[in-house]
Amino acid sequence: MTDSELIQAVNDVFADSFEIPREKLTPEAQIFGDLGLDSLDVVDLVAAIQKKFNVQVRDDERIRSIRSMQDLYNYLIMIRNEQKKA
Amino acid sequence: MEALMAQRKTALSRLSVVWLNVYFWPLLAVVSILFLVLAVPYGYLLDLLGRNRRRTLWYVRRTISHYGAAAVYCGWPLVRVRFIDYAPQEKPPFVFVANHRSSSDAFLMFVLRFEVIQILNIWPSRLPFVNCFSRLAGYLRVREMPFEEFIEAGSRLLADGVSIIAFPEGTRSGSCQLGQFHGSAFRLAQHVGAKICPLTISGNEHIPSRGSLVMHPGQIVISKLPSVTCEQYKELNAYRLKTRVRETIRKHLDAQCL
Repeated sequence: MTDSELIQAVNDVFADSFEIPREKLTPEAQIFGDLGLDSLDVVDLVAAIQKKFNVQVRDDERIRSIRSMQDLYNYLIMIRNEQKKA
Repeated sequence: MEALMAQRKTALSRLSVVWLNVYFWPLLAVVSILFLVLAVPYGYLLDLLGRNRRRTLWYVRRTISHYGAAAVYCGWPLVRVRFIDYAPQEKPPFVFVANHRSSSDAFLMFVLRFEVIQILNIWPSRLPFVNCFSRLAGYLRVREMPFEEFIEAGSRLLADGVSIIAFPEGTRSGSCQLGQFHGSAFRLAQHVGAKICPLTISGNEHIPSRGSLVMHPGQIVISKLPSVTCEQYKELNAYRLKTRVRETIRKHLDAQCL
């Protein structure tokens, strides 16, 4: 999966699970402030991402520092690269 | 001539602000003392001696509502309240969700003639008077309890016929802007299949302004919109549900501003 395919797949999760219009899904969009997710929605988001990418990230401390869509893309790209190395 | 008229209007407006604050605060102090002297001891006695806990809770909740009414009417006639019920035939219990612009919002909930409790944020617990009465009335402190406990307590209240009021923005906007919604109240409604009733409150952005105690004259309009039933939202997840209800509230507030 290329970076752009991964970004597309992340955006699919937001569009399908949360009905967020794709034009709002910009890299600089803040997940809490701009997209309106709260701490409980993030639990649903993590579950959807785990399902979509077949990864286990719920207990990863690094997800706590994710604030924007760009942070999320970078994090998932990093996870993908770690999986490739393994 | 126009400049003179504008000057006169500004002077009258300032005078009305001064006049309102001159009579509002002393009246509110008298009303508060009366409630403290009469209602609070009676509530505690009822709680200590009464065998019917349910009736005590009902008394405390209605007393809070009456105090809210008395506090708001201390501003009459310069502060007026208009309540519009767009679905008077609907029966409680509801999970009410309202926009939050001013500290007067909580007091304005007296317009709902049902037995209600409010979901509180952390800061009201720091006010001794509010803290004592809200604990007695069984208000839910969403930030001070685990989420599962909140759902359990909220479910019990709704099953008991008590409606719940939430201000899902979590903090006062202090303006006409509508903040993002937190989903706790919506998840509670989904858990028990309760009706969600949107409320809009407008006109009280400066009654009083955020961070100020200065009251400004004006008319506050509270609208109770038709509720969203479980049948209507059962296909939605919590995020979609809160987003749709937020949109309903935003559209209604925007229409009022036009």
